[in-house]
Amino acid sequence: MRLRILAAAALSLLAIVGAGCAAKADSRSTPSDKPDKIVVYTSRKEEFVAPLLAKFTKDTGIKADALYADDAVINRLKEEVGSPRADILIGNDAGALEYLRLKKVLAPADQAIVGIESIDSAFRAADGSWFGLSARTRVLMYNKDLITDAQMPKTMEELTDPKWKGKFAIARGGNGSVIAHVSALRAEWGDAKTEEWIRKVKDNAGAITDGHGDIRKAVGAGEFSFGLVNNYYYHQQLLESADNNVGVIYPDQGDGEMGAVVNAAGVGLVAGGPNRTAAREFAQWVLLPENQRAFSNASLEVPINPAIEAPDGTAAIDSYKVNDLPLSKLGEVWEDTRSLIERAGLDLELK
Amino acid sequence: MTLTVHGLWVRAWRGRPPEGWLLLVALVAAVFMSAPVAYVGIRAFSEAGSRWTVLLNERVPTLLWNTVSLAAAVGLVAGTLGVTLAWLINRTDLPGRRMWRWLLALPLAIPPYVGAMAYVIVFGPRGWVTDVFGSTPLDMYSFAGAAFVLSVFTYPYVYLVVGSATARLGRSHEDVARSLGLGPFAVFRRVTLPLMRPAIGAGVVLVVLYVLSDFGAVALLRYSTFTSAIYYQMGGFDTGAAAILSVVLIALTLLILGAEAATRHKARFYQTGGVASAPRLIELGRLKWAALTYVAVVFTISVAVPLAVLGYWTRQGLLEQGLDPRFFEFAINTVKAAGIAAVIAMVVAVPVVYLRSRHPSPPSTIIERLAYSGYALPGVIVALGVIFFSLRLAPAIYGTMFLVAVAYVIRFLPQAMQSVSASLAAVSPRIDEAARVAGLGPLGVVFRVIAHLIAPGVIAGGALVFVGSAKELPATLLLRPAGFDTLAVRVWIEAGEGAYHLAAPPALVIVLLSLLPLKWMLDRFQEAD
Repeated sequence: MRLRILAAAALSLLAIVGAGCAAKADSRSTPSDKPDKIVVYTSRKEEFVAPLLAKFTKDTGIKADALYADDAVINRLKEEVGSPRADILIGNDAGALEYLRLKKVLAPADQAIVGIESIDSAFRAADGSWFGLSARTRVLMYNKDLITDAQMPKTMEELTDPKWKGKFAIARGGNGSVIAHVSALRAEWGDAKTEEWIRKVKDNAGAITDGHGDIRKAVGAGEFSFGLVNNYYYHQQLLESADNNVGVIYPDQGDGEMGAVVNAAGVGLVAGGPNRTAAREFAQWVLLPENQRAFSNASLEVPINPAIEAPDGTAAIDSYKVNDLPLSKLGEVWEDTRSLIERAGLDLELK
Repeated sequence: MTLTVHGLWVRAWRGRPPEGWLLLVALVAAVFMSAPVAYVGIRAFSEAGSRWTVLLNERVPTLLWNTVSLAAAVGLVAGTLGVTLAWLINRTDLPGRRMWRWLLALPLAIPPYVGAMAYVIVFGPRGWVTDVFGSTPLDMYSFAGAAFVLSVFTYPYVYLVVGSATARLGRSHEDVARSLGLGPFAVFRRVTLPLMRPAIGAGVVLVVLYVLSDFGAVALLRYSTFTSAIYYQMGGFDTGAAAILSVVLIALTLLILGAEAATRHKARFYQTGGVASAPRLIELGRLKWAALTYVAVVFTISVAVPLAVLGYWTRQGLLEQGLDPRFFEFAINTVKAAGIAAVIAMVVAVPVVYLRSRHPSPPSTIIERLAYSGYALPGVIVALGVIFFSLRLAPAIYGTMFLVAVAYVIRFLPQAMQSVSASLAAVSPRIDEAARVAGLGPLGVVFRVIAHLIAPGVIAGGALVFVGSAKELPATLLLRPAGFDTLAVRVWIEAGEGAYHLAAPPALVIVLLSLLPLKWMLDRFQEAD
């Protein structure tokens, strides 16, 4: 009796494996006949992406399988380049998107993507491999119980001042937003000064966190006076039911100063992905005005397309001075910047 | 006598070469089990020497210190807890000792990453204690926090191994000591403890190996050891660095296994003559209440508090927004991947163990050892090997659920093999001969006669693989395809976001699931009772 159970179990296992292989073979032989699903890798948070994908499935009938794995998706895509498993990358950092395009991990769709012109050409790849949707500006958010607007540092350079020792928090060096920020500083200051800045800031910082969500919570709770974050973290903290007495500084706004550093979150198309047709369909769908809006609003980011209404209370992208480095320049220096950050002693990953 | 190839073959097998089919099945299984791990080594040694130098100089010293100091601290604390508890339960008249005996083993059902989450909720910077008192006595995100959590959830390894050895020991040594005038605690210190040294060593080694392989708890507590460093290197997909760090960690693991084997040979104690008589209980007298408090405190910290925290947040979650609608999807994914792994492990374990048992010889030993490759290996390293292996040689299964199951099999097959091996030892080889005489081939004997006789052991082994897989975190995180989250993955993601109402229900299910094989494990440890 038991023998039969074992045999049955083994047989059913073989059947499952066989069915799996057969299904795979099917999907290979007819890659684009019936776009019934896409595979999405994303470094964005699940809470922001999952509702978007649910709406996509509802609107188009195309299923979306997502892998949420933070910045690890960038290198997972790189590793899988020989046998890609994903169709779409929803990334948080234009530098990484462009870097992947240069590495031929991302590639344009077979036909032009309808609606891509609604995005300013400074915020997308010239060949359409990726496009930005929402802006993320580097700001200092502070706890109003601990420090006033007047006392706050107003430039990035001031963060090296010993008087801020232990008073603020920054994120680890491998975070996409941090990498892009450092790339912009390199373009402005040169490598030597940037490296020195990182070295001093990391020693000055009271904490180096895994992500910016930890910083907004810690600043809100008064564990630190201020933190270096992206602007939407400030808006998210304002919506908390407690610990929400926080303010924001857009840095480097004075005459002759570099302006706040802006990055973009957006969508890239994976080269040779298993469902290319459906991937293009997703790209066109997400560029529809209501979906551009949903993409930005979920995380309180500001839409790059000025025709799309920004979330309540957020500063429109043309209301402050913005650093002028084009986002596509971030790609070619992405790896260099990572090594510079590591060399300066700011760990890419928390140790 | 001429030396032919055939003659050498027969001689290598000590005169009993197995039939081709049996050998082939076992060999394929063994190669399959060990290849991914071998790949890690190949990948590491194909890295440039300069990468080695940089890592060995810059990363390895810190990681080595972090890892070894944590393992030593946890070994010491868990060892002390395990030994004292085992002694109180097995040798003294502690009130309620029958009940405590199994209550104190329950922490084994709580994966340390779940325990870590529970204690972040209690002692974390925004935890309950901080809410009430304004500050917390224990910084969870530190060496102390990691050492605390790992000690509290791993002491049962020592407790069970020492407990079963204590029960087997009998009382003659202690009786002699007492008749020579030693008091109960002097007997413990001067007689029982030295006699227990091999068992304590074995238990502590289990704890230390666990600390070396743990990923979830240390990563949640933001403490960096080799496993978390390897995981984050792979997250950055710096696979070369991950492979190099893996090789260093494998070396450390082998060193500890080797040290344990060496000391075990030296320290042997014998019970001469006659059957060990049942131990006589030591009367604790006035210390009874102190002992009872001690036991109750350990139980509270290691079982009651984490379960209360999980229960509280599960209830909060259900009241506030009901169960996550995808909860059942996660549960089904867990059952699928763990179930496939359990079935493969059951099918693979039988021929390998059978070969070793019925054809003991150097070749069969090598095959068995290869199949044991995953033993004591951290999930991150197994995952790394499986990625290398599948991308190069089996791209069809890369990015599918089967890859996850393969990693589970490599990781937990040794547990199934131990279980099968224990059952097979009780089946006389004469039964095999009878089956052969009746006309069955070698595989027929294995799968139609032996598998039938040892089914309970095979099923128990499958259950161990199933539960180990259901709890498994790092390999699942690294290998899961898009859209395939398991319960363990959800605990990790939600705990990382601080969404405890979503993390608690799957964590509670994992704990309940882990209780299933616990009873069987306890029986095995205490069958000498």
